[in-house]
Amino acid sequence: MFRRISKLPVRIGERIGLFEPATPQLAPGERLPKRTFRWDLDKTYLRTEFDSLKDLAKSAIETAADKQAYPGATALLRALRQDGNRICIVSGSPTQMRQVLAAKLALDGVEYDEFVLKNNLKNILRGRFRALRAQIPYKLPAMLSSRINVPAPSEMLFGDDAEADAIIYCLYADLIAGEVSLTDLERVLIASRAYDDDAERCLDLARRVPQAKAVTRMFIHLDRRSPPMGFRRFGPRLVPVFNYFQAALVLYEDQVLTARQVIFVALEMLDSGQFALGHLATSVQDVIRRGRVTRESALRLTEEAAEAARSGALSGRSDLPPFEKIAESFRERVRELGGTVAPEPAVAEPLDYVRLVDEEHEHRHRRRRQGMG
Amino acid sequence: MHRIVVDAMGGDHAPDEVVRGAAEASLALTNAEIILVGDAAVLGRLLPRMRHDGARVRVHHAPAFVEMDEKPAEALAAKPEASIAVAADLVARGEGDALVSAGNTGASVLACARRWTLLTGVRRAALAAVYPTELRRGEKDDPFSLILDVGATIDATAEDLVGFAVMGSAYAKLISQNRRPRVALLSNGTEAGKGPPEVVRAHEQLVETTELNFIGNIEGLDIPRGVADVVVTSGFVGNVVLKMLEGVSETVVRLARYAHKERLAWRLGLVALSSAIDQLKEVTDWQQYGGAPLLGFTHPFIKAHGRSNARAVQNAVKVAHKALAGNLCGNIARTMAELDERAQRRTTSQGDVVGA
Repeated sequence: MFRRISKLPVRIGERIGLFEPATPQLAPGERLPKRTFRWDLDKTYLRTEFDSLKDLAKSAIETAADKQAYPGATALLRALRQDGNRICIVSGSPTQMRQVLAAKLALDGVEYDEFVLKNNLKNILRGRFRALRAQIPYKLPAMLSSRINVPAPSEMLFGDDAEADAIIYCLYADLIAGEVSLTDLERVLIASRAYDDDAERCLDLARRVPQAKAVTRMFIHLDRRSPPMGFRRFGPRLVPVFNYFQAALVLYEDQVLTARQVIFVALEMLDSGQFALGHLATSVQDVIRRGRVTRESALRLTEEAAEAARSGALSGRSDLPPFEKIAESFRERVRELGGTVAPEPAVAEPLDYVRLVDEEHEHRHRRRRQGMG
Repeated sequence: MHRIVVDAMGGDHAPDEVVRGAAEASLALTNAEIILVGDAAVLGRLLPRMRHDGARVRVHHAPAFVEMDEKPAEALAAKPEASIAVAADLVARGEGDALVSAGNTGASVLACARRWTLLTGVRRAALAAVYPTELRRGEKDDPFSLILDVGATIDATAEDLVGFAVMGSAYAKLISQNRRPRVALLSNGTEAGKGPPEVVRAHEQLVETTELNFIGNIEGLDIPRGVADVVVTSGFVGNVVLKMLEGVSETVVRLARYAHKERLAWRLGLVALSSAIDQLKEVTDWQQYGGAPLLGFTHPFIKAHGRSNARAVQNAVKVAHKALAGNLCGNIARTMAELDERAQRRTTSQGDVVGA
């Protein structure tokens, strides 16, 4: 009883965002996970509208049950968590929303190892209003800090096209790969309008982070339906996806997911009522056309998925046509492309992060001027 | 979900503007799938540059296409894998529900006519065109009237003209949301007995229909006045009328340009009228209408203007979607069946009288 009461101020402090929960670290003797998957939350996992003040207010008062995950995202997160992989969530949502967001993840049956939210109350109390919107000075140190604690040999990152996720993820990937110097990082932080102490902390973390070419894949969920070509400059490691079936297909090709796990992602999308089999087949064609998945992989997936279906992956799904018919519709979408060869994904050239940050700022201001958030 | 097949290679600004229009339509129409038919390599390069929904736009490869100035029959014979032929095939095979093209009109009509079947009771398909008029109509305040046939075939019998009236009326009801469109026959006088024999006979038959709001004959000058919402005529006459109306519009524009250059007073007059002209342009902008339908087949075909830009293509796709959602073909077939049934009853009752 006394222990519960003594912890009360800490719990209240966490609830209103005065204290941060402790960052998880590896226990002595605990093995490193094979992979770390870092996820953004709003517009990546959760369907969130915050283009207007009304949207923001609505999002703030929504209950966990009101919040909607994108079709397929839950099944994908569950599949990724298997084999002792690590799920780290870094979101720009305020810490005051921790309880409702955690409840939503619990409702969806999503387990995670780390859940970082933005302490905007602290920023307001300290009069640091620039930090309220800043993405790079918040997310980059959060990711670096997490990696210092648990440096997995492989990392995959999931974000969206609404904020600067593509820039932040590439910067993080290049930084931990030792391809961005501290001087360049400092210039990027200045361009990002980071406060001096935040910039200093970020530089310190960058000095200490274990270096490795660990980030092998980044996914950008095209929530705003941005043209995929706009992300070509970030190189082939970054894949813009219209939905999580496409992400699952790429992860299947990367040998991260099995055919059976891809089926589960597909089933969740079908169950949402927002996707039909035809949409999934068209999604396959889209990633092949963009050179993100090979025809051979797509055809191999249909063979393996057929095997998984025969062994019961689709048992109890009398609402679906026989799997052979589904597989044939997928093969037909591949055949529809004729003999055309998919374009080679762009070779990554060194990115000028300062210019990217400036462009992103300009883009954001333009949108705000146009009243689009 | 409605599957709308788009000939991506047809039109003066194809494939760029056609793909852009289809891409925008994929965002606007959440329960439609858009199938772009054309060179998959070209389309595959264009699509990722545009905002679209990758789960709702797919590509079907067609290695060739019909140029805008090619002779339709010869072009289709020489290029069996032309995009319009492949697109019409897809619909005929049941892999698509409607077709949209901004390409060569003759080749498009021919490709559909060779592959698609006519609705029960329809003897001939008709190509319709829209024309801006003085009056607005329907719930959408639509300034356009529909003229059909404008060239799917040359001549028409009285029965064909009745069929055109049914099809045009069904289209105007659905697309212009005009509950009771006024249908008229184009003739050389408003009196019932005026015109060639097939027009006179069609008049006799249309007067007896209760399904249509038949207002009688109209003359050419009544078209721009907007006296009728649906103007029915044979393909030959319709085509001549349409070209003449287009020619008059172009001449007016040219005269205005001449006036603008020629005298300062005229230029000032035009400047004073500019907002009214802009408003008129907005009201009569064919790009907002999207396209004109080929009516009479079991599937809708929307022929977008050859000069269509992305906006016009997007609207043409929306019109096709609306035609599918509102079961345009089913409505035409039902009305044709009702007319046919009445004609049969009339024949039977006349037989009874003769027999008695």
